[in-house]
Amino acid sequence: MIISRFLALPALLLALQAVPLAAQQLVVSDRPEDVSITIYRAPGRGDAPISANWPQGYALITETRTITLPAGDSMVRFEGVSEGLFPESAIVTGLPNGVREKNRDARLLSPQGLVDAYLKREVSITRTDQATGRSRTQNVFITAGPDGGVIFESDEGFEALHCTGLPERMSFAKVPANLSAKPTLSILTTSERAVTARLTLTYLAAGFDWQANYVATVKQRQAGEKARMDLFAWLTVANGGNQSFENANMMAIAGEPNRERREDQVRPTGGALQIRCWPMQRTDQVPYNPGYLPAYPAPPPPPPMAMMDAAGETIIVTAQRRNGKMMEMAAPVAVVVAEQEDLGDLKLYRVPERVTVNAKGQKQVAMIVQPDVSYERIYVAQMSDYDEDSAAVDYILRSKNDIENGLGVPLPAGNVAVFENSFVGPLLAGEGVMQDRAINDEIEVEVGSSADVRLSVIPIRRTVRKESWRAVLSNARDHPVTFEMEIPYEISGRVKGIDTIDGVPTWRVTVPANDEATLEYAIKLR
Amino acid sequence: MRLFGFIGLLLASAATPAISQSSPGDSAQGDVSVTIYNNNQALVQDVRNLTLPGGRSRQQFPDVSAQIRAETVTLSGPGIGIVEQNFDFDLLTPAKLMEKAVGQTVTLIRTNPATGAESRVRAEILAANGGVVMKIGDTIEVLRDDGLPVRVIFDRVPPNLRARPTLSITLEAKGGQVPTTLSYLTPGLGWKADYVTLFDEARQTIDVQGWVTLTNNSGTDYRNANVLLVAGSPNNGGGRNGYVQWPTGTIDDAGTESNDRERLGDYYLYPLAERTTVANAQQKQVSFLDVAAAPARKVYEYANGWLGSRDAASASSVLKFSTSRSGGLGDQLPAGIMRVYMRDKRGDPQFIGESRIEATPMGSSMSIRTGDAFDVKVKTVVEERTRRSSRRWRTKMRYEVTNARPEAVTVDLAQSGLWGDVRIEEESQASERVSADKVEWNLKVPANGSVTVTAIFDSRY
Repeated sequence: MIISRFLALPALLLALQAVPLAAQQLVVSDRPEDVSITIYRAPGRGDAPISANWPQGYALITETRTITLPAGDSMVRFEGVSEGLFPESAIVTGLPNGVREKNRDARLLSPQGLVDAYLKREVSITRTDQATGRSRTQNVFITAGPDGGVIFESDEGFEALHCTGLPERMSFAKVPANLSAKPTLSILTTSERAVTARLTLTYLAAGFDWQANYVATVKQRQAGEKARMDLFAWLTVANGGNQSFENANMMAIAGEPNRERREDQVRPTGGALQIRCWPMQRTDQVPYNPGYLPAYPAPPPPPPMAMMDAAGETIIVTAQRRNGKMMEMAAPVAVVVAEQEDLGDLKLYRVPERVTVNAKGQKQVAMIVQPDVSYERIYVAQMSDYDEDSAAVDYILRSKNDIENGLGVPLPAGNVAVFENSFVGPLLAGEGVMQDRAINDEIEVEVGSSADVRLSVIPIRRTVRKESWRAVLSNARDHPVTFEMEIPYEISGRVKGIDTIDGVPTWRVTVPANDEATLEYAIKLR
Repeated sequence: MRLFGFIGLLLASAATPAISQSSPGDSAQGDVSVTIYNNNQALVQDVRNLTLPGGRSRQQFPDVSAQIRAETVTLSGPGIGIVEQNFDFDLLTPAKLMEKAVGQTVTLIRTNPATGAESRVRAEILAANGGVVMKIGDTIEVLRDDGLPVRVIFDRVPPNLRARPTLSITLEAKGGQVPTTLSYLTPGLGWKADYVTLFDEARQTIDVQGWVTLTNNSGTDYRNANVLLVAGSPNNGGGRNGYVQWPTGTIDDAGTESNDRERLGDYYLYPLAERTTVANAQQKQVSFLDVAAAPARKVYEYANGWLGSRDAASASSVLKFSTSRSGGLGDQLPAGIMRVYMRDKRGDPQFIGESRIEATPMGSSMSIRTGDAFDVKVKTVVEERTRRSSRRWRTKMRYEVTNARPEAVTVDLAQSGLWGDVRIEEESQASERVSADKVEWNLKVPANGSVTVTAIFDSRY
């Protein structure tokens, strides 16, 4: 007896200890005053476009928030953070005594969550008579739920919710304190006295992406002049979340920061009530279905969308030769251009003015403006892709990223759209892809292929030791073209016209206008 | 049951819409201690005061983990003996309720859709296959065969069906109030470490903050619990022939230092300083490490496979530091993810990459790969490859390392795939054979410049 009384004491102590936890004061920080957003590209996206639905990159978001902390322990809840928040990356600075605990709660306020919280507790059920409109409320206890259905106990006995065919409505006294509308981030902190603190909340969040979009406008050139183009790039930013960032500092990072796979995340709880009643088949319903039917019949499928009637529309095409003059394209004039700086081994592009990044939106700001970039247009082929039938040859734009060629700036990866002037105005000549290119790197962008420049590679003779080939390049264009063909094999002997470039024998030739060039060579078989 | 119905009636007659009930969130848990391991496993110890009758009694234990491993449950206390333990997970649902009501009599309340008038009738449930077949008076009917609304009121719920999986233990006791300790293992609780590293390139230092991140998916809250974290994964079928954890490659030299941190066998223990509530669907972070201005340096690494030939590719940027007591972080590092930040020109921290680290002993030298360098690239070219004899090949390789940064950098360039018997016949710069498989060149690349290394290998393939 004495022992049991003695042991009851810790329970009392515990009850006392529970008091300070309950005495935490809740401070809600509902929105940031100032926000900076740095956007990182989706790792390993390659040439694929930005996913419009949910961009696969991420962002570092830094928010400044002011809160008033009371003396003692308090819980600060952050609202209005990006929905893609990675909670483990959150950093909070600016508190007088630092952060004791960071929590992210994902028990959501939902029908399931309510039933779960009110299990073995009292709720009220209201049934409305459809004939008279009279409603009757009854207080009941939830006996079981929310898995598989809700069973409640009234003074009459036990009943199952939504299995009667009557309109039934459950109502709850109040919102359980631990359920929230969205996953919420909160911290526990202590302060000796009441203070107003300016906090910085920094976190990584999913659902953002960016890329560079280059517009290359080929310039008109006189005979003998080097080929030139104006290179312009948009910084294209996508936000797939439902949170807008108003009046924000915006930055983008080029380069490949390492990212690890995430694991062991908490899964939000809650959702719709899944009610499965007892079997409800009627005698007229055949065949027999042993499965359980849902409480309500499934809603009818939505009516099909009205088809667009295109029959009435006629497009008339007329051909008209213009006066032969080329119409020059005006390159976009950028007033605001993102400034580039180095961040360790990455490149940071900062938009100099504050901007608004809209929810579910895409935004473009100029990031590179380089007029008069000189380049070479080169037709390239790999020997093993061709045979005796002549086939069109691809061409690339090649330059070097240095000041002599009008460049000398870091070029982040992105799409390149090449426009050439014609008598009807600038037309799209092709689209290619640019990789991340540092200063002094060689740049090659594959743009398209030419039906006028064709290659055939014809086997002539084969012995045990070697294979003889003839390559013929025809040029139907009215000016000379430069052509390179890689022969990824060992060449027998020395052949005039073949040089080894980076270990690969390459035939490099300039073919005059409306002419052809031929090369005969042999490759060693062993 | 009757009594309960009476209370319900009283409550109903009180008729105020606001229901004054105990607030949702009362827990039957006592003094809870939770020990969480790295491998999604936890030991829960729950000291509850039970008021027991003398002799045999069946006690239910609500508010245990919803994922409890019932076979690991032990209950101990002064003067109690265990008769049997049961874990029942047959859940009470409408379908189960009807199935178990076969042979019993229920009350049906039919509502007239035109007038709203109710009529009551007793019915015996004969079967619940596909549809519910009942006997009302002398006729056999199918429930709601006409589609009209019918309320079915059951007199009782079957005894073995529960709202939640429930642990119940039959005990023998002397009676009275007894403090009992309930302990069990449960999955659904796990933890890892998350590190925030701020790298100062000019001063060549790092500030590191370590956070314990624990997650609770076990379906239950643990109120005001004593939390202990164990850095380690107790044997989940490992052993000498078992599954080996793949190293992350972040430890260059494993350390040999130790400190006074509490241990459990080979595992380190991280007790949380204060009691805390670990709620369900919660991710909680508590600080455990804070080191300022530990020395760190950045290097670049590039590894080329045998006969690897590719256009300029970015070298990895690697952050090197030590966990030693002198000149390092001075602690063990539990497994987790290290995120590295750097300040931009305005002084705001920006993320520059992250790397997973494994549990690291104190005194280790570490290298964290943060990402690919935009400006430091390596181009590898197989310049010549000739057959020497039927057994040997001669391969001439060229490596061009370019640096577009305004300062000189150091690049560790490795050529692997050497299979032990590949010889370097000639090289433009001395290399170090770090293993039978690999040679390394330590290259100083000038600012905005490049370095070219050539080597001739004599190999079997």
